[in-house]
Amino acid sequence: MFNTTMQRIRISASTVTQICKSKDCLGVLIMIPHGRRCLSSSSCLYGKVFPRQKPRVVPEIAGLEPVTYADRMHFVPGLAKPRFPKWERGWKNPNHYESPKPEEMKLFKDKPCYIFNQRTSVVEGVRQALWLSKSAVIKEFPAQILSLAEDPANQIEDQDERVQNAIKSALLWDTTDDQPPRERYCPMLVHRLLHLCGVLQVRHPELAKRMLAEKYNLAATWRRGEDVFQVRGHNGLLLNSMNPLPVLAGPEQIQGTADQELETFFPIAPTIDLQCTNVYQEKSTTGFREGYPCPHAHTLYVMEMGNTPKLLPEQLRAKMIMFCFGNALVRAKALYGDEPRVLEKPIVVQSVATNGRIFQFVVFQLNTTELQSDSGVKNLVWVDEDKPLYEHAQARAHIKRRVVKIPAGLSGYQPETFKKFLALFLHGAT
Amino acid sequence: MSVGLLSSALRALCLSGSRTWAGPSAAASALVGCRGFMTSVCQLQNRTLWKQREKYTIRPIGMKKTGGRDHTGRIKTHGIGGGHKQRHRIIDFQRLRSEPGKEQPVMVEKVLEVRYDPCRSADIALVAGGNRKRWIIASQNMEAGDLIQSCRGIGRMAVLAQEGDAHPVGALPVGTLIHNLELFPGRGAQYIRAAGTCGVLLRKVSGTAIIQLPSKHQIQVLETCVATVGRVSNVDHNKRIIGKAGTNRWLGIRPSSGRWQRKGGWAGRKIRPLPAMKSYINLPTASARA
Repeated sequence: MFNTTMQRIRISASTVTQICKSKDCLGVLIMIPHGRRCLSSSSCLYGKVFPRQKPRVVPEIAGLEPVTYADRMHFVPGLAKPRFPKWERGWKNPNHYESPKPEEMKLFKDKPCYIFNQRTSVVEGVRQALWLSKSAVIKEFPAQILSLAEDPANQIEDQDERVQNAIKSALLWDTTDDQPPRERYCPMLVHRLLHLCGVLQVRHPELAKRMLAEKYNLAATWRRGEDVFQVRGHNGLLLNSMNPLPVLAGPEQIQGTADQELETFFPIAPTIDLQCTNVYQEKSTTGFREGYPCPHAHTLYVMEMGNTPKLLPEQLRAKMIMFCFGNALVRAKALYGDEPRVLEKPIVVQSVATNGRIFQFVVFQLNTTELQSDSGVKNLVWVDEDKPLYEHAQARAHIKRRVVKIPAGLSGYQPETFKKFLALFLHGAT
Repeated sequence: MSVGLLSSALRALCLSGSRTWAGPSAAASALVGCRGFMTSVCQLQNRTLWKQREKYTIRPIGMKKTGGRDHTGRIKTHGIGGGHKQRHRIIDFQRLRSEPGKEQPVMVEKVLEVRYDPCRSADIALVAGGNRKRWIIASQNMEAGDLIQSCRGIGRMAVLAQEGDAHPVGALPVGTLIHNLELFPGRGAQYIRAAGTCGVLLRKVSGTAIIQLPSKHQIQVLETCVATVGRVSNVDHNKRIIGKAGTNRWLGIRPSSGRWQRKGGWAGRKIRPLPAMKSYINLPTASARA
């Protein structure tokens, strides 16, 4: 249509027509001499698009009130638009609730608090968790607990076969798909393994004095240097027991930690990635009420399902350390009071984290609640990293070019990992 | 268009002009279809709301592609459209921006990772310092784990420049390769940001510095303008071979018109002397000085 229009114009005009092309397709202005216009084509081709104008900024002059049309109750050209005060509903409507500004909230404090919650993923990982909890790390599984696992009296009949059945039931026998989603098989595997460990209750009646709890709210507060820190939120599955765990490290080892330096990671501050807030409440609660029969935290089972947010193994270990520390600190404050002191009877909390395949084991011993300064006795952490329980568990084999790369079913089972799991479970009961 | 005509007509009629309410220009530009006087509901356009975020974050933000169309819906720039979905990472071009409440003359930061950015030719680096993390344009040999400095002061002696560090131009020795150059102090880097580019600090003259840009143009800026030392990352970007039309389409470049058009005076290589040096010093004019 446009080309025929052009031809018509060329034929009608006697002199040369100039066609200016600009980037704007609407800027194709056809300048025809003698002012003759072609009315047969659409006007939108000739309309010039104005660039969007910024609205005129009206200056606010103090002391001068603009004359508005508020009194006249209708728009009057020339008068200013009235500014009315904010409309108040007068009654509380839960569907339309505007929260007050942080400064006006009841719990607002000038000093900010750095909170470690269940969604925190610290960039420096274990080093940052060690600084925050004033701990020294030992990168191996504690030997006393390992000896518990090696003892044949503590092993279940057909242990390996039953564990493999547990893995298969969680990963292979649950759906007809290749693999159920991680959010499904990870908690199922942990519950199956816990049930298997509970079979030993026949031999060790102390195991009956334990309780599993989920979705409890932990709140622990402490001061480090000039900052206030808190651990808050849902942790995971907690195994509570009536009796506290026995102490792992002797007094010599505890005193030896006093000479070790806390590792700093300049230029990154230790408070990075923690939720910084001015509205907080300095709480210290275990999450359970006063008369709870199993007040001592035994083992924390953290499941990392890869949703909100996905935690790398380093960050997962940091989360385990922080929550163990939180549980231990709250227990210490409940037993010995808020006064910072070196504990005569250190508190031990264990933790197991998994993403469905790889297990991380952490044992935390709280030796002191004097966390203000960087020197002095430190807490102890034993960390056992990245222990896979099995290599692959798929319903269908992965075959490439007629060579089986990954066989169907469960492959690469490691019995050592379950032994450590069982050892941590039995610790304190034998 | 009719709305614009109506409002401009009204403006012409009024004696004092219709007053537009003083709101942020961002919100006003989003509120299209809103006449000068009160009508029913104003229609909020969310075309540009994705880039109206005030708070800085390292989280990538979903972008809305425009396809070369402007606010009227017509093509303003041809050849743009389609392509892989991209997420925008907000880059901090002001290297000397310190954390709120903590002003320091020297800032040290650690590079956490260097990664590809779909929105630009250069690679970007996630750096962490103090309590905050931010994205910056990565320099040529930047790797995860490096420590980079940003200094504010200009000493009497020139600083031994390390690659990736940011200093005011007056503190660098003459002849250093720089990138991410500011034109006005504190405004943020505006020049020399593309992959593999670098400018050369030619000379320093009484409180100003003269820099040669990658296009061989020379500019004069105040010596307090901050620049980063070294070349921008992804140096082999201009040597890549697109290979096929589909790659261009993945990059969001639509085909140009296939019609053969006689090239005019604008085409072809031009050999002409460099334009005069542009000065961004904003010295007071002769009349103001007198």
